[in-house]
Amino acid sequence: MAFEPVLTRNIHRPDSGTIEGYLAAGGYQGLRRALKEFSPGQLVEEVKNSGLRGRGGAGFPTGMKWGFLPKTRDKPRYLCVNADESEPGTFKDRLLIEKDPHLVLEGIILSAYAIESSLAFFYIRGEFHEGYRIFQKAVQEARAKGFLGTNILGSGFSLDIIIYRGAGAYICGEETALLESLEGKRGYPRIKPPFPAIVGLYGCPTIINNVETLANVTLIAERGAAWYASIGRPPKNTGPKLFCLSGHVKRPGVFEAPLGVPFLELLNEHAGGMQHSDRPLKAAVPGGSSMKILPASKCDVLMDFDALAAAGTSLGSAGGIVMDTSTCMVTALLNVARFYAHESCGQCTPCREGTGWFVKILSRLERGDGRPEDVGLLTGIASNIEGNTVCPFGEAIAWPVESYVRVFREEFEEHAKRKACPMKTTAVR
Amino acid sequence: MQETSPPPHQPNVPAVAPPAPSPSAPIGADEVALLIDDRPVVAKKGTTVLQAAENAGVLVPHYCYHPGLSIAGNCRMCLVEIEKMPKLQIACATPVAQGMAVRTGNDRVRDARAGIQEFLLINHPLDCPICDQAGECRLQAYEAAYGLGYSRFHEEKVHFPKRYDIGGKVVFDAERCIRCTRCIRFCDEVSQSHELALFQRGDHAIIGTFPGRPLDNPYSGCTVDVCPVGALTWKPFRFKARVWFLKNVPSVCVGCARGCNVDVATFRNRIHRLTPRANVDVNRYWMCDAGRQSYSPLYERPRFERPILRGGPGAVGPEEDTSSMDTGSLWDLALDRSADLLRGVAKAHGPKALAAIVSARLTVEDLYLAKRVLGELLGVPRMAVPPHEEGEDDHLLVRRDKTPNARGASALGIGAPSAGRVKEILEDAAAGNVRGLVVVGEDLTEFPGFSEALFQKLDVLVVIDWWQSPTADRAQVALPACGYGEFEGTVVNFQERVQRLRVGLDPRGEADPTWRILRDLGRRFGLPSEYATSRAVFDDVAAKVPAFAGLSYRALGDRGAPMPAGAARDAGASPPGA
Repeated sequence: MAFEPVLTRNIHRPDSGTIEGYLAAGGYQGLRRALKEFSPGQLVEEVKNSGLRGRGGAGFPTGMKWGFLPKTRDKPRYLCVNADESEPGTFKDRLLIEKDPHLVLEGIILSAYAIESSLAFFYIRGEFHEGYRIFQKAVQEARAKGFLGTNILGSGFSLDIIIYRGAGAYICGEETALLESLEGKRGYPRIKPPFPAIVGLYGCPTIINNVETLANVTLIAERGAAWYASIGRPPKNTGPKLFCLSGHVKRPGVFEAPLGVPFLELLNEHAGGMQHSDRPLKAAVPGGSSMKILPASKCDVLMDFDALAAAGTSLGSAGGIVMDTSTCMVTALLNVARFYAHESCGQCTPCREGTGWFVKILSRLERGDGRPEDVGLLTGIASNIEGNTVCPFGEAIAWPVESYVRVFREEFEEHAKRKACPMKTTAVR
Repeated sequence: MQETSPPPHQPNVPAVAPPAPSPSAPIGADEVALLIDDRPVVAKKGTTVLQAAENAGVLVPHYCYHPGLSIAGNCRMCLVEIEKMPKLQIACATPVAQGMAVRTGNDRVRDARAGIQEFLLINHPLDCPICDQAGECRLQAYEAAYGLGYSRFHEEKVHFPKRYDIGGKVVFDAERCIRCTRCIRFCDEVSQSHELALFQRGDHAIIGTFPGRPLDNPYSGCTVDVCPVGALTWKPFRFKARVWFLKNVPSVCVGCARGCNVDVATFRNRIHRLTPRANVDVNRYWMCDAGRQSYSPLYERPRFERPILRGGPGAVGPEEDTSSMDTGSLWDLALDRSADLLRGVAKAHGPKALAAIVSARLTVEDLYLAKRVLGELLGVPRMAVPPHEEGEDDHLLVRRDKTPNARGASALGIGAPSAGRVKEILEDAAAGNVRGLVVVGEDLTEFPGFSEALFQKLDVLVVIDWWQSPTADRAQVALPACGYGEFEGTVVNFQERVQRLRVGLDPRGEADPTWRILRDLGRRFGLPSEYATSRAVFDDVAAKVPAFAGLSYRALGDRGAPMPAGAARDAGASPPGA
């Protein structure tokens, strides 16, 4: 059975992004159906049955996350949409927000209905000027058509949305830092537990879902859990997925494929293969810059949560970064480390101090000032960070450092030994 | 849950462990049983692992946790292993649970600690030789206990402002800062003045103030106390003494009626600083800046080291030359002279011509003997206690009543401080009705109703004080008393809690504790030969005054004890909390 793109079905329509175009393509039918046919609890069950796992990075089952909300109703519940997409190599949410905002919005309304929340917050990355404008317009259109506001489609369910623009910090994509930022504070991740489902925004039970996750909820409401669960690699890796490919490929971009698509198929068929025919694949990070790198020899993997975990990396945000043989791994890792040193919030000790230390060591290695012991030191620092930080940012830098050095140890050692970059001195290109 | 004081800075010297509860010991409904390093421990529900461990005598090292502040969980030093949890957990933020098994010192935990120590030190200037915190610095203590002992860091450190005047009496060295945010949380949660915040990100994160709003609150010194490293230092103490030479004496601040528990730090017979000592019933972990500097008059006001005699009986003349006299003879002469002069007034004009003004800054022991000797033996009919009030009670510690022992004066039956009674005595003295006046620990020139004529009219003025006040300058006999830190005794705070002052200094010159001066004066009026020590005086107070019944120095310990309920009332006492 050929895969039918559904997340991206509207993006090439000339009227994509407008409510007219969305309705003409059958939009908001899922919402109509769900409000009529499902109680909130039934919709949660439907999402559970679909097997949908969060598309933000951790791959946590969405229905199960919703189920963590306390049964008591003494406080309001909030839905927060994480539209702070900022993982290097990842630009899939941006596509959805800009090209099919109503697909996302419908998912938000459905999800809010499922978790019985009457107020949703759309936390959008500050740099997404265009996306902000488009989404704002979509909200106005939906409100005018009665999809938002009080008594939506006569169902008795009411919802309003507050759009909040971030000020541009990677860490605010971490869900508890996002909540702090939304509350007007410094974007510092919170200590967990308690988890946001229990104590979230303004101390109230809160569900935080990624943009793409919510778009998937629209599809589930529209076509049913059984249809959804038949896509991909059931039972644990179901549904369509947006994959980003960037780096040394011919045609970088966002591609829709079922979960479990082979990485090489994405690379060769969707992204048009390697950028230069004489420079083969050297390594790839399948899941965004914070995930572990795979050498070319291990890139024959399926792109889903469990297959990549078995391969020693993660699907993450599916922001695939492809590197050819011209890439110096020290330079590449330095680039990654600089990003994380810049974005470390500075709250907890290992991340605050460790990220900057990485940059200093890697800079020395790169400029030919390395020492043999630097290579082991890098992994030593990484292991002192991993698992010891407030939030997963620690792993987001420890994993690349550990994996780049482990996989390309000789290249790092050569830098230290030759006091220069072997890529430059041996003219690989 | 019992709040404990911040643990000692020496992590490798654990507190004496209480006996482990036997496995069969019953567990209350609000308690859980857990294992900490294989030892069975029972802890109240809601306690954190860190507190439960500390209560069991196991010190989990930490920087950002402070019992008086909210949990920040940022330093990561208190990581411990908890069975069934894949990652190490921060003990400060993990509540105890039934059946939990905690390991606070296995290899995995020690490796993590060494890693945190390394991270904290890579950008630290390591300027211990010129750092005031050296010797009581957690970075030092934990490095000795848990650190690698060498550095793997070969890079340029991040540089920050040093010796930055962050406001008030506090100096900030941002390079020494470990961003534990204790100072920020103190200003947000305790002083509620919100001056401090973190700025910038990553390893450029720095504590700072907002433009035009320096650190300026009545408790700013507490930011220095809570700083676990040398980032915040107290100007009056900077470079004054190495802390390992300081001797800390547990005592009480006498700056107001709160009686904050303090450590009096002395070196070479000089007080160098007061720091708050934890007492959850009185001051928790804090003290105000005024109290912190309350010892400074000791070094600013003129002292006198020997009794001063002026003129003969009946007239205030020039100071007599007593330089040839040995101390014992001079004290005997001064006390004999005082007794004779006072007796003379009583004989000539009747006891009604005598009055006394005694201070609520005196101890219970001082005031008790003042009452016995002056009131009962000499028969002074009027004894007034001047009030010293300033400002208002604040939200935290500061009391309007600036005397440490007004409640003690009331409980002893001397009466509550009364400006009116003082004024009456002064006016009667100026009018010639009071002819002999004993002043203990007060300066008459401060009071409304004072007039210079008073000194002319008085036949006899005997002054006992720790400094050579303008009043002492006009006395026929001025007897030098011990100053703060030189005597021991008790004071009763506004909560009617009796607390001990302790000795940290040798007396200045030939000064004597006030209670002993009064005792020796009393012997001239027939006081029995008892009261060898202030402890003995207090035992007598406890035996005779119901408000102190059952109390003893031993019972008061380092944190004091409340008066027996309802016992502190006398005619002059105002209700507690007033």
